[in-house]
Amino acid sequence: MQYQTITRSALAAAATILGATVAVAEDKPALDKAAIDKAFESLKTFNWGVDHNKFRALLGPIEDAVPATHGDAAARKELETKLAAVLSTEASRAAKDYVGRKLAIIGTAESVPALAALLPDKDLSHMARYALERIPAPEATKALRDSLAKTSGAQKAGVIGSLGVRRAAESIADLATLVGDSDESIAIAAATALGDIGSVESAKALQDAKPASDPVKLRVADAQLAAGECLLTAGDKAGALAVYKSLIASPEKSVRLAATRGLLLASGKKE
Amino acid sequence: MKQRANRRDFLKAAVATAAACPYLIPGSALGAGDRPAPSARIVMGGIGIGNQGSGDQGAFLGRGDVQYVAVCDVNTQHRNAARDRANGRYHNSDCKTYNDFRELLARTDIDAVHVATPDHWHALVVIDACRHGKDVYCQKPETKTLREGPLMVAAARRYSRVVSGGSQRVLEDYRRQVNPCWSGELGPIKSINVSFGPLAQSCYLGSEAVPQGMDWDMWLGPAPWAPFHRYRCSGSFNINGTCWRSFSDYSGGGMTDWGAHHFGGAIFAIDCREFEPEEVEYHNEKGREFVGFRYPNGIHLYHNHPGMKHLQIVGTPGEKRAPKPVPGYKGNGGIHGDFIECVKTREKPFRDIELATHSISVAHLGSIAYQLKRSLKWDGVKNEFPGDEEANRLVDRARREPWTL
Repeated sequence: MQYQTITRSALAAAATILGATVAVAEDKPALDKAAIDKAFESLKTFNWGVDHNKFRALLGPIEDAVPATHGDAAARKELETKLAAVLSTEASRAAKDYVGRKLAIIGTAESVPALAALLPDKDLSHMARYALERIPAPEATKALRDSLAKTSGAQKAGVIGSLGVRRAAESIADLATLVGDSDESIAIAAATALGDIGSVESAKALQDAKPASDPVKLRVADAQLAAGECLLTAGDKAGALAVYKSLIASPEKSVRLAATRGLLLASGKKE
Repeated sequence: MKQRANRRDFLKAAVATAAACPYLIPGSALGAGDRPAPSARIVMGGIGIGNQGSGDQGAFLGRGDVQYVAVCDVNTQHRNAARDRANGRYHNSDCKTYNDFRELLARTDIDAVHVATPDHWHALVVIDACRHGKDVYCQKPETKTLREGPLMVAAARRYSRVVSGGSQRVLEDYRRQVNPCWSGELGPIKSINVSFGPLAQSCYLGSEAVPQGMDWDMWLGPAPWAPFHRYRCSGSFNINGTCWRSFSDYSGGGMTDWGAHHFGGAIFAIDCREFEPEEVEYHNEKGREFVGFRYPNGIHLYHNHPGMKHLQIVGTPGEKRAPKPVPGYKGNGGIHGDFIECVKTREKPFRDIELATHSISVAHLGSIAYQLKRSLKWDGVKNEFPGDEEANRLVDRARREPWTL
């Protein structure tokens, strides 16, 4: 495999020669703090235009530090702090892109403010969400919700999508309004997010929605069907039946077929 | 989006025209010769029509029971070449071209599509095709993330669609492994090993001028923005940093590209297609990494086990195992014919999307274990790593706006 680890003996030799702090752990690459510091120096001027070997030469120590710090809270925190700090510097878009990827794995509530500041940025919004969507802290959900008022167009649609993936039930009222947005991408994202949340409340919001265009109508119906499946899985047959009955006369043939299948499943029929 | 005439309207018009101009309609168009009548043909389109897509298009164009009417690709050169192939096949100019797959899927006259975009688009296109009531043949690797598989299966089931994965090798290349396992000859199976690579790479290649006729933003779609580079979007099959298959934003590298075949074939041989492993065991023996996937029935699937050959199976000599008939394709014409037959009969195809995504999930699980360099527990029903907050972050990734699944 490409990510070869260094053997214990090689690490011990390297530690002696370089005087570096080396943590030897079974099945883990070592944490070489000097190399990590050097990689963070490289990150200041890092940009697109390098092949994989050069990328590894520049940023490999940060790459290796992610698995190496697993279970070491202090080392993780130090790594996260250094990564998050890059986001408020003049580092390139590529460098901040890289940071977003790493914070997606190790980011905590501490990184949320630096990431949230990038959500309205046309160029950086996605990579901010790349991290925020995966950070399990409630602060990340709050940052995404707060940014609804600060974003528009595609960036707002992206934020809505991330709220859906996080199944942020506290956003249902906002999302219900946004299904009626005149921007089709926002309306579609809001409908999808309500379907992802998959609760009685989100199903009700979808049922009350007044989608404007055919593509949004189809996504609202799809989200209702998804919500119906969530209700069925949760044992709420009455809730699921209500969803499917509301779709049985849909103008879309595919939706009518799906609603019929849903009604049969909710009635106890097996596929 | 513009609504087009549906299939029934098209057929009415065709019949009326035939009545008016009986000598201008070739017999084959009405079902003579080796072709079924137009009403009995599966009306198809193709989405992502470069290297692999053109091969799939050729397989479907060669079938008398398919009428191929539309192609979609973000590369004008690819889609025009594909259009010309279809029109050349039928000696007409009916095949329409699209840059945006959503316009093709909105056509109500199309019954089925084949999808051979780069992997990062698969789930989005397949799920949207199901919403529009289309049956789908999707090239492998079917998913880019673990979250996508169950969503694709849910869409297929929700809309009662026939959705087939695309590895022809699973059935056709591994008979030497499959037959002795399924016949019971090897007794209860203990393990199997597959050896291949590599993992996907990060891609920070530089910027080149976007070629004329290439919609670069649409090519990237849900993947992170990056500058155009010919290697970044090359559809070649070299997984060495010179094609999209190499890069983690668009593919799982060799781990999924070859994994669809090798994991798929191995899982078929050991008869574990219908479920997923419950543990990935990460090993590092003197710097040599390998993983083992432990299935709920105790069978181990190894990847790059240093002590085993590629496709080596360990059974239980001297013990009997009840033989089972080996499932195969329906209809004729290999995996493409299997799909078309199932479109007609509404049966599940050999590479039903649920079985196909189970195989690719194994590849994703292995990649995550290699990335985190540790063993992982996996709950294939809940689609999560139980109690492992860090690994669960890698079940999916945020899609670039405005794309949502």
